[in-house]
Amino acid sequence: MSYLSNCRRSACDYISTVDDKHVETDTWLETRGVWKVFGGQSKKALEMSEGGMSRAEVLAATGCTIGVKDVSLSVLPGETFVVMGLSGSGKSTLIRCISQLTEVTKGSVIFDGQDLAAMDEKALREVRRKKLSMVFQHFGLFPHRRVIDNAAYGLEVQGVPKDVRRNRARLVLEIVGLKGYEDHYPQQLSGGMQQRVGLARALTVEPEVLFFDEPFSALDPLIRRDMQNELIRLQRDMQRTIVFITHDFAEAIKLGDRIAIMKDGEFDQVGTAAELITNPATDYVREFTEDIPKAKVLTAADVAHAGALNPDWKRVQSSSSVESLIPLLLADPLPLVVQGPDGVSLGLVDRQAVQDLLGRVA
Amino acid sequence: MTAAAAPGVASRSLGISRRWLALLAVAAGVAVFQVLGDSMSTIEGSDRLFPALWDKTFEDPIQDAGAWLRSNRLTHPIFTGLLTPFSKTVGGAIDAIADALLWLPWFVVLGIVVLIPARAGAWKAGVVGAIALFYTVLIGLWVPTMQTLALMSAAVLLAAIVGLPLGMVAALYPRFEQVLRPVLDAAQTLPAFVYFLPLLMLFGIGNVPGAVATVIYALPPVVRLTTLGIKRVPQAAVDASLMFGATKRQTLLKVQVPMAVPTIITGLTQTIMLSLGVVVLATLVGADGLGSPILQTLNSRRTGRGIAAGLAIVAVAMVLDRMWKSFAVTDRTKFLQRRYLGYGVGGLLIATLAGRAFGIAAAPDLFDWSLFDPIDDGVVWTRDNLRWFTRPFSDWIVLYLYLPARDFLTDTMAWPSILLMVGAACWWVRGRALAVFSVAALGVIGLIGMWELSIDTLVQVIIAAGLATVIAVPLGLLVGRSKRVEALMGPVLDGLQTVPSLVYIVPAVIFFTVGVVPGIIATVLYAMVPGVRITALGIREVPEESIEASRTFGATPRQTMLGVRVPLAAPTIMAGINQVIMLSLAMVIISGLVGGGALGFETVRSLKRSLFGFGFEVGVALVLMAMLLDRFTEACAQRLQPPE
Repeated sequence: MSYLSNCRRSACDYISTVDDKHVETDTWLETRGVWKVFGGQSKKALEMSEGGMSRAEVLAATGCTIGVKDVSLSVLPGETFVVMGLSGSGKSTLIRCISQLTEVTKGSVIFDGQDLAAMDEKALREVRRKKLSMVFQHFGLFPHRRVIDNAAYGLEVQGVPKDVRRNRARLVLEIVGLKGYEDHYPQQLSGGMQQRVGLARALTVEPEVLFFDEPFSALDPLIRRDMQNELIRLQRDMQRTIVFITHDFAEAIKLGDRIAIMKDGEFDQVGTAAELITNPATDYVREFTEDIPKAKVLTAADVAHAGALNPDWKRVQSSSSVESLIPLLLADPLPLVVQGPDGVSLGLVDRQAVQDLLGRVA
Repeated sequence: MTAAAAPGVASRSLGISRRWLALLAVAAGVAVFQVLGDSMSTIEGSDRLFPALWDKTFEDPIQDAGAWLRSNRLTHPIFTGLLTPFSKTVGGAIDAIADALLWLPWFVVLGIVVLIPARAGAWKAGVVGAIALFYTVLIGLWVPTMQTLALMSAAVLLAAIVGLPLGMVAALYPRFEQVLRPVLDAAQTLPAFVYFLPLLMLFGIGNVPGAVATVIYALPPVVRLTTLGIKRVPQAAVDASLMFGATKRQTLLKVQVPMAVPTIITGLTQTIMLSLGVVVLATLVGADGLGSPILQTLNSRRTGRGIAAGLAIVAVAMVLDRMWKSFAVTDRTKFLQRRYLGYGVGGLLIATLAGRAFGIAAAPDLFDWSLFDPIDDGVVWTRDNLRWFTRPFSDWIVLYLYLPARDFLTDTMAWPSILLMVGAACWWVRGRALAVFSVAALGVIGLIGMWELSIDTLVQVIIAAGLATVIAVPLGLLVGRSKRVEALMGPVLDGLQTVPSLVYIVPAVIFFTVGVVPGIIATVLYAMVPGVRITALGIREVPEESIEASRTFGATPRQTMLGVRVPLAAPTIMAGINQVIMLSLAMVIISGLVGGGALGFETVRSLKRSLFGFGFEVGVALVLMAMLLDRFTEACAQRLQPPE
């Protein structure tokens, strides 16, 4: 068992070990046509909805609510996939369907080549023990257990001996910045620290996939920002596959490799932050992007377009933010050449392109 | 409260015109029945009473069955194979606990009483409990006190052994809960008194029927609170556990049950307090303990000793309350350090050995409760000097409330009129099902010949509950609104609620001797406490925002109280009134011991004379009346709930 050796190493060593392991595994998580219908006549409601009736019509006719409507998604290994939606959009229902906390009405959830929705309880339990983990909006901590025993819970239910699981939990608590709080009870900690316990509890079992159900929504804005940065830092080290639910678009573009915008139980659009901002598929998506400081979020690569390149023009890195290009463009009317990390030219950015982008903000 | 909300309620259920039509129909029906009533011939003399067609239908066979049980107690396999072993086990356990408590030196028991709450950091509560218990040593009631404690412990243990698993299963399997719920509802509304007779038939005289009655009485809240506690565990905690691959069993034992413990224990504390009342009453079926000194003093009118014994029960209640509450403490940082706990336990062990070795284990005869005899003279003096007030007050209740009401219902109103009116009222607050149930229940009561006795009891309940409500609701408004009054009254109310019902009879008898009135007075005292508490709770639970909103519109405190607080608290207050009525019923029955007559007296008489058949009928009447009162008031409370 790998954690036995890990325990003797420092915290950073531990993370890098996990890192190595994960780059190689080809874990794959996808949903195929997942439906969730709440209410007694779910079958009938499902048929009506498939037949093209709206959510409201189905509700009026059957009393059933369509929570998730035919959602298919696929998450790449090591990717952070964010589902963003307002309350009632079905985003929490979706993650509960994926994590199998709620039974799906129709469809399948494929993980590692197996359909979680079709598994029996025992097999599902095995997958959960070894490969999945979740962080909850209201933390879901156990108030009767010390912080360390909260963090060790996942290993405890697997039957890992007490000293082994405690050593592991201590290590992970140190990583999330809770060293010295091991023997406190959760309710003695602040909200942000409580969610760190939730995070530690999820990480202790070395999951391959982490589910986050609006983990930072209950926190103050400043603490929330701290926690987001913490997650980005951890994710840089460990590269887990993450499915993250939020109602905050800024949080979505900050954390997400790809973002799905959810409305009325369906995905309006799935794409990277840049794709959503530069090319919103619906008015609904556009509304969210309007308040976003685009010049900060988008990079030179996002606004670059093809054109005749002049070797004398200034060159910029594709990852530089648009904001950093503005002084260059103001100082010199000539376009800038955008080059990738390998030095290959990708295209050019001129005043017009930046103006178009910023003009759309107003 | 009901009257105030009536118009809104009615217009919601029936159209205005239909409502008047229905009212007219009922009035017409009553008129017809009243006229017909004179010409209707019945089996016995009075025309207005319900014809007791089934008078002997159940009484005789059950009397025979009781006699059969009695004569076959030693031989029949039901006894030798099942009941007797059970009875021996439970009885043996109670005796063993009592013997153990009495074997321990008395000062060690006091030490344990300090140590258990101290373990959770509440050593002050422990000291208060020990002082209270020391009182029983002082007045020489140590032995019955320990017997009562033993009976309580055995009953609570049994209730926990049966109730906790049931509650867990009900929490995990909603279908099971659906089946269980009506049974629990019914069991919880019944006064413990009704269990005594059948248990006496099965187990004979002694501690066992008392313990079993207590268990049955305590079981519904135990099950219910376990279910509630487990269901109240935040979903996220349960989800988290499942997401880590915990089995249902692991989740239950590692997460749900530990997190439910505070809810379960907080509720259990109250249950235990209520059970104490039953344990004390169990002296009527021959149980040991503090009940019998109280009954003796009630019979001999030695009020001083009655007060002494009553205070001993209050002491037991205080001790149990403090000990149990300490188990609900979850903040482990406040817990006593292991080392000190070890010192405490060690000290108690040494004290035990020393106590046994030097022969000072038995509680000393410091004083005797004859100490309280001078109080008798004082009480007699006070009673005689208060007679200018108590006498007319007592007469007023009898002449202007009790007798007119009873005569009105038994002599003036014909029974079909009562059936019709009760049925209509039930239809109006809840619907057809309750109306059918109410008519059927009253019908059965009448048919088995319990009509007159039941009406007598009902009248006493209504008078007592009415008086209690009139006092309790305004008091509750006051307590709920003012922090200062609450600080003053809170501890008093807490204390009063832990006092077993039988104790309330003592002062009532002192001042009002025997008859209907002391029973009603005791009932008012006993039943108003939860009324005040729940009303205050309802007022306090009104959201601060609503009150501030009212204030910003310039409402006077009075306007805020009557326009915002009371209507928003109305459902809670109505639930409080429901409690008042149910407790009144329980207490009015107990008042049968001091001349309250009616069903209560008949219950006691049946117990004493082994009138199984008759006692069974009395029990049926009580059960039906309790269910009817509960469902009706509960329906009223729901009517007041603002729509979702």
